Amino acid sequence: MRQVITVSLNGRAYALEDDAHAALGAYLAEASRALAANPDKDEIVADLEQAIADKCDRCLSAHKTVVSRAEIEAIIGEMGPVDGAAPSPAGAAASSAGAAPAGEAPRAEPASPPPAGAGPAPRRLYQISEGALVSGVCNGLAAYFNLDVTIVRLAFVVLTFLTGGVTVLVYLVLMFVVPYASTSEEHAAARGVPFNARVLVEQAKQKAAQFTNSADWKADRSAWTREWRRTRAEVRRAVREAKAEWRAHRWGAAPPGAPPGPPPSPAPYAAHVLSGLLLAILGLVLAAFTIAWVVALLSLAFTGSILGWWLPHGVSFWIAIVVLIVIYQLVAWPLKAARRAVYGARGVYHAPAVAAWDGIVTLAVLLALGWYAYGHVAGFHDLVEHVRAAFENFADSV
Amino acid sequence: MDTDQKLAPLRKGLLEFLVLRIVSGSSVYVADILRRLAGTEFATQEGTLYPLLSKLRREGLVDYRWQESDAGPPRKYYALTDAGRAQLAELDRYWAQINKTIAELGN
Repeated sequence: MRQVITVSLNGRAYALEDDAHAALGAYLAEASRALAANPDKDEIVADLEQAIADKCDRCLSAHKTVVSRAEIEAIIGEMGPVDGAAPSPAGAAASSAGAAPAGEAPRAEPASPPPAGAGPAPRRLYQISEGALVSGVCNGLAAYFNLDVTIVRLAFVVLTFLTGGVTVLVYLVLMFVVPYASTSEEHAAARGVPFNARVLVEQAKQKAAQFTNSADWKADRSAWTREWRRTRAEVRRAVREAKAEWRAHRWGAAPPGAPPGPPPSPAPYAAHVLSGLLLAILGLVLAAFTIAWVVALLSLAFTGSILGWWLPHGVSFWIAIVVLIVIYQLVAWPLKAARRAVYGARGVYHAPAVAAWDGIVTLAVLLALGWYAYGHVAGFHDLVEHVRAAFENFADSV
Repeated sequence: MDTDQKLAPLRKGLLEFLVLRIVSGSSVYVADILRRLAGTEFATQEGTLYPLLSKLRREGLVDYRWQESDAGPPRKYYALTDAGRAQLAELDRYWAQINKTIAELGN
């Protein structure tokens, strides 16, 4: 089942599939941008919309009321790139060069100035969860360094053996600190490629020019088709992600029934890194405190003392337990509140994800403590060996 | 491919001339212009033609009037203005002159 979006093309309503809508939106946005300096911009855009509407009519009938992505792509292909060269109203001769037959030499004459703020595309390290094995750190590194993800993963495994596990710590740190790429801009920044409609159309123009001018046009056409499919997939993914983000924001942050707010504006990269660090530290502190608290409780229950500290005379065992619980709440509550606030600042708050993370962090700290105790605390070492021996005996007898 | 690319600016410059010629015959609709150009070396798309027609109109060479159509909304039909006819006559003369020059220099 596909979602359908109704649009107005020069005053008439047309139903488009959602990704067809995205493609058409990108084309018209590029047209408007290319014509920004043209005094007749509005009229030309209206003409273009009318032409697109006419072509849509061709695809529609009484039994087919929705324009598909493939049809919109074909229509955009027919329309061709919008010639943006701003004609000077006075100089007719000079501006006559403004009109180019379809798909010719877009590189030779930069028809329009680059958009404001366009420099080299930013390249930043993000985690990429699509196709991730663990968390997406290797995936993000691969995108950042433009390597195959398999090579990065192999490097990580080899380094883990060579460094005796330090690499795993590095991975864990990166996992906490490096933000996830969630928007299409962030995905583009993860690979260091610009991502906007203008660039897509610019690429399309170049491909079209190569296609038109090339002698071995068949090969070019298949390359162009491949490229277009790739671009299309990218646009579709971006749309999907934007929706997912919006949903996550709505169900995560807003109380049910509240009017849907605008999607969260992604926090700046530095803030993301900082909040990631803060989350990791808060999580570790909380986990360490929780474990210490459980140990204290057990110690109280079994020995009557809290880690060697005897209760003052007259304080009963039960009161001590109540006091411990109150202390835990007093310490843990602000920590949890701070974590929630930081998650909120990151744009999205997923309660299950936070709980899962807390569990993983606690488990990791417990394992680390156990490993340390096994090596350094004779009693614990003996206990583990004893359990292991008992288990082996049991296994042998079965 | 190289030759084709070299000639691209030439085609580009001539497109305006050709559009004036097509419009001069009778009042035409954009689809007519595209159809006349399709299949020639000057095959053109809407994305190029609409901005070009808008420029010609601003320069006072062509104008359009709305005309009801049997199917769909009214269409813009383009026709030359007096200034456009004068310009086209000049371009015709100039083109004939260029042809003559090319022929003479070749021999």
